[in-house]
Amino acid sequence: MTAREILYKYRVIVFILLFLLAGSGIILYITSYFAGLLFILLAIIIYYGFHFLLKDKRIVLSEIKSIAKKMLIPLAGITIAVLIGAVVMIITGYNPLTAYGALFYGGFVKNWHVSLLNAAPLIFTGLSVAFAFKAGLFNIGAEGQYYIGAMAAAGLGIYFDWHPLVTIPVIFLAAGLLGSLYNFFPALLKVKTGAHEVITTMMFAHIARYFSSIFIRNFGGDPSTSSHPYVTDPVLPSNWLLRFKDMFPWANYRLHSGIIIAILTAFFVHYLLSYTRIGFEIRAVGSNPAAAKTQGISTGKTVFIALMVAGFLSAMAGVNQVLGLDHKLYGNLSTGYGWNGISVALLASNHPVGVIFTSILWGALDAGGQYMARTQEVHNSIVEIIKGTVLFLVVARYLYTYWGQKRKKKETCNE
Amino acid sequence: MEREKRKDGICLRMENISKQFPKVLANENISIYLKRGEILALLGENGAGKSTLMNILYGLYRPTCGQIYINNHEATLLSPKDAISLGLGMVHQHFMLIENLTVTENIVLGMEPGSWGFIDFKKARKIVKELSEQYHLFVDPDAKIEGLSVGQQQRVEILKALYRKATILILDEPTAVLTPQEVDGLFVVMRSLQERKVSIIIITHKLEEVKAISGRVYILRRGKLAGERVTKDISKAELAHLMVGRDVVLTLNKENRITEKKPGFTLQNLFVKNDNGVTALNNLSLEVCPGEIVGIAGVAGNGQKELEEVLIGIRRIEKGNILLTGKNISRYGVKKRIQSGLSYVPSDRYRYGLFLSMKVSENILASSLDRKPYVNGINLRLRVINRRSEELVTMYGIKTPSVHEPVSNLSGGNQQKVILAREFSREPVVLVVSQPTRGLDVGAIEFIHSEILKMRDRDTAVLLISMELEEIFALSDRILVLYEGSIVKEFDPGKTSHKEVGYYMTGGGER
Repeated sequence: MTAREILYKYRVIVFILLFLLAGSGIILYITSYFAGLLFILLAIIIYYGFHFLLKDKRIVLSEIKSIAKKMLIPLAGITIAVLIGAVVMIITGYNPLTAYGALFYGGFVKNWHVSLLNAAPLIFTGLSVAFAFKAGLFNIGAEGQYYIGAMAAAGLGIYFDWHPLVTIPVIFLAAGLLGSLYNFFPALLKVKTGAHEVITTMMFAHIARYFSSIFIRNFGGDPSTSSHPYVTDPVLPSNWLLRFKDMFPWANYRLHSGIIIAILTAFFVHYLLSYTRIGFEIRAVGSNPAAAKTQGISTGKTVFIALMVAGFLSAMAGVNQVLGLDHKLYGNLSTGYGWNGISVALLASNHPVGVIFTSILWGALDAGGQYMARTQEVHNSIVEIIKGTVLFLVVARYLYTYWGQKRKKKETCNE
Repeated sequence: MEREKRKDGICLRMENISKQFPKVLANENISIYLKRGEILALLGENGAGKSTLMNILYGLYRPTCGQIYINNHEATLLSPKDAISLGLGMVHQHFMLIENLTVTENIVLGMEPGSWGFIDFKKARKIVKELSEQYHLFVDPDAKIEGLSVGQQQRVEILKALYRKATILILDEPTAVLTPQEVDGLFVVMRSLQERKVSIIIITHKLEEVKAISGRVYILRRGKLAGERVTKDISKAELAHLMVGRDVVLTLNKENRITEKKPGFTLQNLFVKNDNGVTALNNLSLEVCPGEIVGIAGVAGNGQKELEEVLIGIRRIEKGNILLTGKNISRYGVKKRIQSGLSYVPSDRYRYGLFLSMKVSENILASSLDRKPYVNGINLRLRVINRRSEELVTMYGIKTPSVHEPVSNLSGGNQQKVILAREFSREPVVLVVSQPTRGLDVGAIEFIHSEILKMRDRDTAVLLISMELEEIFALSDRILVLYEGSIVKEFDPGKTSHKEVGYYMTGGGER
């Protein structure tokens, strides 16, 4: 028991060490130094080992069990979807083994940095959708808030010339607040008149997307100096997000620190939802608005906060793209990060930390799909088929409950 | 033998019907029959299983076990479509009409006369007109639904069923939305349908209606058949007893310990409307003193729901005041009322009481997670929350694997105990308890009753709203009878009988 006591006494130090271990592992892994995985695994093992020593074993076991249970449906969906994709490939005359090999190699090894570049904005928009979902709201207009954030980042990034430690946080904050503001009217309409947020935010999304074309014209887009007229002037280099290559020479030159910000944001959102008062109120309203009311929780206020925070998070995705990857705003109206955010949130059952993994999966499927198409000449629409099937299987989980009820029926009648 | 004799003239039999929902057994082994041209009443309280039984008959639910025979042929009803094709028609409580289409269009919708995909509107209009004249159901076939009164819309619903050649008509609480004049009109229509050999099943919880219109009545209680009677042979009081009576008699140690009358909780001349904008509480006044339990007896639907909602603050007061130890709280929101010392155990615990997908600890402290010691800044102090909820779980004997379990995994009795723990542990000045033991087993009922008495012994003013007379008699220091939104009579439980209270509950005091 003394070992236990000593551990308990120094638990803060142990946790700091764990944090460093896991953090360095994650950064190594992100920069394609895959041995980082060992660090991460070690950290996880130590974490649970520590819990085993200090807490009741049954509680820790049931925790692990519930995590595994939550992952069961998405994992089963992915497996089935991969099998269906294989059948499609066999029918169309491709070898699924080599194709999937290329998909995996491209997505998780060769073009891992592309997967992460794809994933970073998805994490933000996925968090946005998930957060609103927790309050029982469907923020379908994440795409619009994304464009608001991107425009704010481009507009400020071109002119705002100061130390990056000041400018970057200010740009994130300003863009985020504009994104929140953009959801102000849908929230107001929802609370005052009951207008459904699916309609209002979607309409607002279209407005923002097409407004961005006008915006681009006014912040550059001079056809005589640019080969691509539908693009703003570049953002000042001092406003660029830090690139990994500046610290880790082996990292890809495009990979920027946006993914780290995204992961940290996901953990912050998780904290906000599970460990704070406002998070509790949001979950309560999402779980049962009528009961929340009789417990003295203001549903109107909560709906407002949820939509504003969702707007903020989506706008961060736009900032991440402009300051991190593109360094200018393109007039490309089909990035679809907002819409795909809905998919990753659904797949993660709206768990903020889960969103990190589903976003990376989505990003890797895209990156790997391109690699597969190039090397194996398999059309990468197979990736979209897999994505669609996964989502369908996960969203259609009521099938399981239907089976459950059927079984129950047999039991009661046989008595 | 007897069944053989009865067989002629019987157009519908439901035998040994049971329906298991995930949490409740809504119907348990119910057998009923219906004769041709009969008006049959299905009487029972809210949640007794009447609507479930009829929804099974109409193909909306599949029975867990049991058989249905229509005209002596076994019927498998997979959807309302099957039911309609077998001559069944149902008029729901909430009408299924399309507001901006005309009466004719609504009636023929889905079975339009005409050919090649074209609708013969002239013919449709003629058929509707003939039908409405034949059954004395007068409505303008060209009027739009949105312009019709509720009573007329109901006629359209009935016509819709008749147009589909219904010979068995199910009316789900048809009078709930009608004015007294419209009710009389409906009864005339029902009788004329009866003359034309249409069989009618009317679902209701109102005793007067059973007496006024039906020939025979089945009484349902808690999902089981509590009796079958010929209407003219049974009195309202007996019906009431069958409907609300309970087989379990509880003896509780209770003595009236009130010595001096201090103001605790006072309602002054309350006027409140229901969801349809009809007056639900009509000049209601009452007073509950600290250390006293006042029981509100009444048949469901006489304003109980509106009363509990207006007290916690989720329904608007039209006129009148609510005083809590002399302080007027009528204008307070829910939060401020809770902080002033009001606690509330709702009758609909799933709608108003619980967050089913959330943890026991979050449910048990839901109303306190905005203040110390559970909150520090914006942070929840999980360790304090967990310790306190564990304490409450032991105190109230809640059976759960841990406080982290989602409430949906608990049994009904334990779910109710979670609400009790939350509301009682706040140490309220006033406690509003509505239907605290509905759907629970005997053990849970006894525990909950003794907890309510404990609250009284701690000088809480308790207002108990219940539709179960046994419960009212077992707990109350005074009984007030609620009828049509007003208090019509006050009783001392020691000096009255169930019969007498039942008489006033069903409007007997009016004449």
